Amino acid sequence: MWRLKLRRWRWARRVELPAVIAAAWAAPLPLASSELRDVSFLICDAEMSGLDPAKAELLSMGWVRVEGLEIVMGSAEHRLIRNRRSVGQSATIHQLRDCELREADDITEVLSDFLQAAAGCVLVFHNARLDTAFLDRAAKQAFGTPLLLPTVDTLWLEQRLLQRQERPIGQGDLRLGACRDRYGLIHHSAHNALTDAMATAELLLAHVAKRGPGLRLRQLL
Amino acid sequence: MTDATISGDASELASVREFLRGSLPFNELNDLELETALAAMRVSYHAHGERFSVESEHSGLRILRSGAVDIRDADNKLLDRLGEGESFSIAGLNADRGNVMALVIEDALIYRLPEAAYHSLRSANRGFDRYFSSQRSRRLRRAARYQPEPNAMLAPVSSVMTRDILTVSPELTVQQAARAMAERRVSSTFVLEGEELLGILTDRDLRTRVLAAGLNNQTLVRDVMTPNPESISAQESLFATTLLMTQRSFHHLPVLEDGRLAGVVTTSDLIVARKNDPVYLVQHISRQDSVEGIADLVSCMGHLMVEWVNGGMRAAQVSQILTAISDAVAVRLIQLAEADLGEAPAPWAWLGFGSQARGEQLLGADQDNGIVIADSVGDEDLHWYKALAEKVCDGLALCGYKYCPGGIMASNDLWRLPLARWKETVRSWTRTPTGDAVMRVSIFFDIRALYGDHRLAESIQALMLEAASSNSIFLAALAGNVLDNRPPLGVFRRFVVDRNGEHRDSLNIKKRGVLPVTEIARLHALAAKLPDVNTAARLQSLVSAGRMAMVDSRNLTDALHFIQGLRMDHQCGQIQRGEAVDNYINPRALPRLAKEQLRDAFTIIDEAQASVRQNYRAGMA
Repeated sequence: MWRLKLRRWRWARRVELPAVIAAAWAAPLPLASSELRDVSFLICDAEMSGLDPAKAELLSMGWVRVEGLEIVMGSAEHRLIRNRRSVGQSATIHQLRDCELREADDITEVLSDFLQAAAGCVLVFHNARLDTAFLDRAAKQAFGTPLLLPTVDTLWLEQRLLQRQERPIGQGDLRLGACRDRYGLIHHSAHNALTDAMATAELLLAHVAKRGPGLRLRQLL
Repeated sequence: MTDATISGDASELASVREFLRGSLPFNELNDLELETALAAMRVSYHAHGERFSVESEHSGLRILRSGAVDIRDADNKLLDRLGEGESFSIAGLNADRGNVMALVIEDALIYRLPEAAYHSLRSANRGFDRYFSSQRSRRLRRAARYQPEPNAMLAPVSSVMTRDILTVSPELTVQQAARAMAERRVSSTFVLEGEELLGILTDRDLRTRVLAAGLNNQTLVRDVMTPNPESISAQESLFATTLLMTQRSFHHLPVLEDGRLAGVVTTSDLIVARKNDPVYLVQHISRQDSVEGIADLVSCMGHLMVEWVNGGMRAAQVSQILTAISDAVAVRLIQLAEADLGEAPAPWAWLGFGSQARGEQLLGADQDNGIVIADSVGDEDLHWYKALAEKVCDGLALCGYKYCPGGIMASNDLWRLPLARWKETVRSWTRTPTGDAVMRVSIFFDIRALYGDHRLAESIQALMLEAASSNSIFLAALAGNVLDNRPPLGVFRRFVVDRNGEHRDSLNIKKRGVLPVTEIARLHALAAKLPDVNTAARLQSLVSAGRMAMVDSRNLTDALHFIQGLRMDHQCGQIQRGEAVDNYINPRALPRLAKEQLRDAFTIIDEAQASVRQNYRAGMA
């Protein structure tokens, strides 16, 4: 957490923080020693038009909160993002089409709402590196700073769990669906940012339950 | 929230919404209530071994999305085992009895409706509330007794009325009208002035008001018609029409569409409409003069059953009717044989055993029959009965009632005996009751005379009741058999919780569901010396005799009716697909609601068996 604070402090010296970022950073950071039931998580997923943050752009975001180790269904949000370039062939993966996205919200608006929801929360992604690369890039363009929020990655958690159990990790074993299979979680047929966020949230809860009671935030970071 | 968000959410939470909609009692909620419930819902994951009790942090209604949970009381006794789609409220369970807790037996994903939202839904929706205020058994009763299927008698009268009608002007003479009626071969005509229906003129009017009254044939129709006749609207049901016509003794009734005459319905139209009525079939069977004629009539029984079931007839009624038909077939075959062989040398009776005696046959029933002859019969006359038995059993086989694989048939010398020998046989059964022997003979204890001197059958039955009720060893052996046929809770529950489906096996719903109930009822009825043989009648008499609690009797009856209903639906499906009829049901293929109800039914049977163990086999393995 201290490293995160340091990076925030550096950015705050370099640029003038816009109100949304300032508000998100003003919320007290959870202690690494906190019990998980006392931590608020915001589980997120994003759909993009490609894998390279320099070329592709964000098309949609989904998020849902976990409080007291329970998913708060009413907090679920799914937002489409107005695109600048055509989604091209990527439409076959995320099913989002240009005509739907043309009417959607501007990235700055979606990110502002996301930051508001994220205040005081630990973010959770499955394969955080990819999503945060896109989100940070978009945040820098919109607000001048990256998001710099505490983040947990279920892909990494699962990888570490398998390694600790000395189980071989085959290709595809760390995909969201494969991870869920190991906990007997049901397959979602639809595939979008919010279903994946919900699926990730269920995976987080299953992972935590598997590792037993009394887990602290430190053990997820 | 923008439009994009809303449409996005709608598609996204769809799977959760669909899941809830298919779960009891969320199926009772309207769209708005369901959305409210959805928004308040919390989701959590619980590993095997976790438990919920009144001390647990969160309360409310918990619905299993996946996994399994055991509900146990303070003594750790298993009260219920829940699987996907089932729900429980710890506070609710503890309102009935203290210290009930839920134990996760297979990792579970649980949806929780918080206490406040749960209560506001209960007070807003009566159907939702009723589910929780009532017992599991009541839920089953509703399923067994309430089946909103359309009935053939609810079809509109327009479906059977004659549209081709004869109309006459009021200014015609009765002779002209009678001539027109004779030409068209109709017994009534309508008197119209323009579009308006003035009256009706029938054969009967011509007879009583013209001929008998001595009027001449130039009398005008207007003067002798029945003015302002009763009529019925084309949308009225056959039921309402039949009721009106029988109550008022009408033989013809004009049918109006938008206030204008559209047709006529006659009493014979109504009879034709009921050609699939079982009463009609039974009467026709009794008029056949050959085995082939009977076989031909009953060959369509499968399709008739489908029709009755689709018409909303319940399982108990269908099996009653199928039994009445097989009774009629047997009786007619006996009568035909008697016509061949001449009069019986001594009084006798044709006996039906098992499901036929109980009035609980469905399709594909085997023959289970015998003959009892008065002791006055001479040995030299016994061949008459043998010849009759062979004719009747062969005839039954031709009509689709298979030969009994165990040989329990009147054509078998063992089961065609004078009364004294029958009594000897019964005594020998109860003298050395081994489990195996008891199982073989238990079917005889459901006995009914189909034809002949009923008193002969009654005296066998009286001895059976006497010998069985006073013989605790016999009853214990019988109870042992009852307990051998456990309801498939193991298999079925594993099916509920096992996602990988190792137990895809279907279950024999007759053997695992129907027989246990009939066996339980038989055991108690024999012990209480009750002469009833029908299972529902036995269960009812057991209450009157003070041998069974009302609630247990009703629960068992409902369980039986529900299982028989499933079995019947299953067989109807097979008939419609042109497959052979069997009793194997794959519980996985059942709709979720039926699955739960089947589980309820099995739970009730399981409890009834537990009480059999206590009452008849206390202290035995």
